[in-house]
Amino acid sequence: MDIEQRNIDFATIIASAVHDMKNSLSMLLNYLDDVVDYFKEIDVPEAVQLTHLHYEAKRVNNNLIQLLSLYRLDKSMYSLNITYNSINELFNDLVIQNKTMLDYKNISVETECEDDLFWFFDLDMISGVLNSTMNNSFRYTKSKLRLVAEVEDGYLKISIEDDGGGYPKNLIDATSNHREKSIDFTSGSTGLGLFFAEIVADYHTNKDKRGYINLCNTCSLGGGCFSLYLP
Amino acid sequence: MPLKLILEGKRCLLVDDFSEFRYSVKKMLQSLGASDVDDTGDGDEAIDKIALKSYDLILCDYNLGENKRDGQQILEEAKHKEILKYSAIFIMITAENTMRMVMGAMEYKPDDYLTKPFTKEALLARLEKIMEKKNDFATIDKALARKDYHSALKMCNDKIQSKPKNLYELLKLKAELSITVGDYPEAESIYNQIVNIRRLPWALLGLGKALFLSTKHMEAKEIFLEIIDENRSFVEAYDWLAKVLEALGDSKEAQRMLMRALELSPKAILRQKALADLAYKNNDLATAENSYKQAVDLGKNSCFKSAKDYTGLAQVMLDKKTPEKALKVLQDSKTIFTNDRESTLQATLMQGLAHKELGNEADLKSSIEEANSLFSGMKGTVNSVASLDIAGSFFKLGEADKANQIMQDVIRNNHDNEKVLKKAQEVFTSADMQTEGERMIAATKREIIKVNNDGVMLVKNGKLAEAIDFFSKAASGLPENKIINANAAQAMLMYMQKFGKTDKHVNQVQRYLDQIRKVDPTYKKYQELVAVYKKLTEA
Repeated sequence: MDIEQRNIDFATIIASAVHDMKNSLSMLLNYLDDVVDYFKEIDVPEAVQLTHLHYEAKRVNNNLIQLLSLYRLDKSMYSLNITYNSINELFNDLVIQNKTMLDYKNISVETECEDDLFWFFDLDMISGVLNSTMNNSFRYTKSKLRLVAEVEDGYLKISIEDDGGGYPKNLIDATSNHREKSIDFTSGSTGLGLFFAEIVADYHTNKDKRGYINLCNTCSLGGGCFSLYLP
Repeated sequence: MPLKLILEGKRCLLVDDFSEFRYSVKKMLQSLGASDVDDTGDGDEAIDKIALKSYDLILCDYNLGENKRDGQQILEEAKHKEILKYSAIFIMITAENTMRMVMGAMEYKPDDYLTKPFTKEALLARLEKIMEKKNDFATIDKALARKDYHSALKMCNDKIQSKPKNLYELLKLKAELSITVGDYPEAESIYNQIVNIRRLPWALLGLGKALFLSTKHMEAKEIFLEIIDENRSFVEAYDWLAKVLEALGDSKEAQRMLMRALELSPKAILRQKALADLAYKNNDLATAENSYKQAVDLGKNSCFKSAKDYTGLAQVMLDKKTPEKALKVLQDSKTIFTNDRESTLQATLMQGLAHKELGNEADLKSSIEEANSLFSGMKGTVNSVASLDIAGSFFKLGEADKANQIMQDVIRNNHDNEKVLKKAQEVFTSADMQTEGERMIAATKREIIKVNNDGVMLVKNGKLAEAIDFFSKAASGLPENKIINANAAQAMLMYMQKFGKTDKHVNQVQRYLDQIRKVDPTYKKYQELVAVYKKLTEA
């Protein structure tokens, strides 16, 4: 009888652990919501501090979701679900989902987009990317965020601008050549979020065009600017 | 921040086998204003609840535990029994976001899928979108609920004129409806229009379907291959590719495609049946036996259970020379489908064959007697394919008179359908009656051609009223004969072109067209008639 080699597929183990953590965390977030609501009801002023707790838990949750999505994309278990979506609605949903944190940190948001702007993309994936980018911006911006969408050269360009200190030069250089996957994840030069954004953008193709991301520090608010290009 | 109370006054049902998850989602629903929320962890109980109360929203987990009824089966049962009102929202909760693709081929689809876990904000956003869509489509859905496809098409057209934001959904529906009413060129052109803007998988699938139904098989094949190349989990594309391959004569490869699709969605009962039939045709008895077994097992929790799965399985067992096993399956079938005469007859005939194989003379005799008495009580209600099976069994049991009588009827209904005639000839040949068969087919063909020509002559001589009468009588005796039904429809259309349309005649034409579509949706003359019908009803 042959001796069976125990075959450990580490990626699969991680994925299943991540799946489990994500479920627990989302229960935790839901319970936390209930606690916050209750504190507000009985007028506990410290309730607002729980917002930060909520924010960190949500960041972890976003990271886990991204990890899992990357795993599924890698294993070809995920196919994009491309639909025709209103950008205005996308922006509104983003603002609503982050309202608590925006209020807590006193950040104002303005959005700029034509009313009848529609585009083809995977709504879940793209809102995931924008949500986590926005979440990161909370850390760096001072008081303002701007969401801008426009059509540029056959691409939909969605930008998130802030009035913080801007992106470090090495990150900007890394994304400047958008034809290749450019963020070096192994050197630890960047976070998971940008890596994820780049992959999701790259999965969006139309005829011979592919999506990409770009970072710069030359936006109207004076801080960093993240742009997502979708063909 | 307080959420919008969009569920105020709505009756909600939550189905999930984890009580903690139910607790947490129930809280979410309440925070959206719902005060009437029922919940259960069991699929059977869910169906009982749906039957008793008319819910506005059902959130249902797909996976409700091993060997239990799953979310898709609950949805199917509820829609099949028509206990779910058309305005109700059904959301399937799944653990994976690929579910949409894997579940694609299902007859009944939920309004949306939601991937676990989700926040109440995400639930709210999703519900708002679905409600808005339901609202936009309310009048169309109403027409669809009463199967009034032409009115639904007209409403689609009106809405599309105003270039709304859900334009693509309307175009999608319009194309699907065009296929339903047999207007394949229209469907093809809509899908092409979309595909030229963006090669969306659903539009490519629709295009492939339209091409297949217009018998452009090679083009259709290319399209389905392209979809699978891009989306390996898009199971519906495999189903259609299998159909194309079978039409092109490559039934081995077609079987392979269905097997790949079933790897992705092993619980799809209709696909298991299709595979079983195809494998049997390919003489792959092992696969056929396994798939029929799966279909029988899946059928226990499904509204798609059918006696054919049992008789199919029994047939394989007879072929494998295991008649005892076949007898057991046939007994099960008769117990489950007691009130279904046709199925009981088929099962009884096969019991006779099993007894014959085993040499049980007494049992064989009583099976034949039972079959005879069943048959005498049910003439004219069995479709051609089933009839051929029944006739074949009668032949094998030595009841040639009965068998010939059934064969005659089948041939009359299919005198121009080469596929059925070929099968009929096979039945004769395997009963050692090749020449008798050839003779009967030729004579019956002549008989029906004469009937048809007599009717056509009336039309040519301008006796339209008489022609209508003549063809209606002929069509009612030959419900599966597509030429007779087509000519009946044509005579009536010509009559209306001359004397004006009436609701009664329009409906009658619609019935003839439906009848032809059931028999052969790819029939060329059918297309032409649909075009005339469309012009006449839109005028």
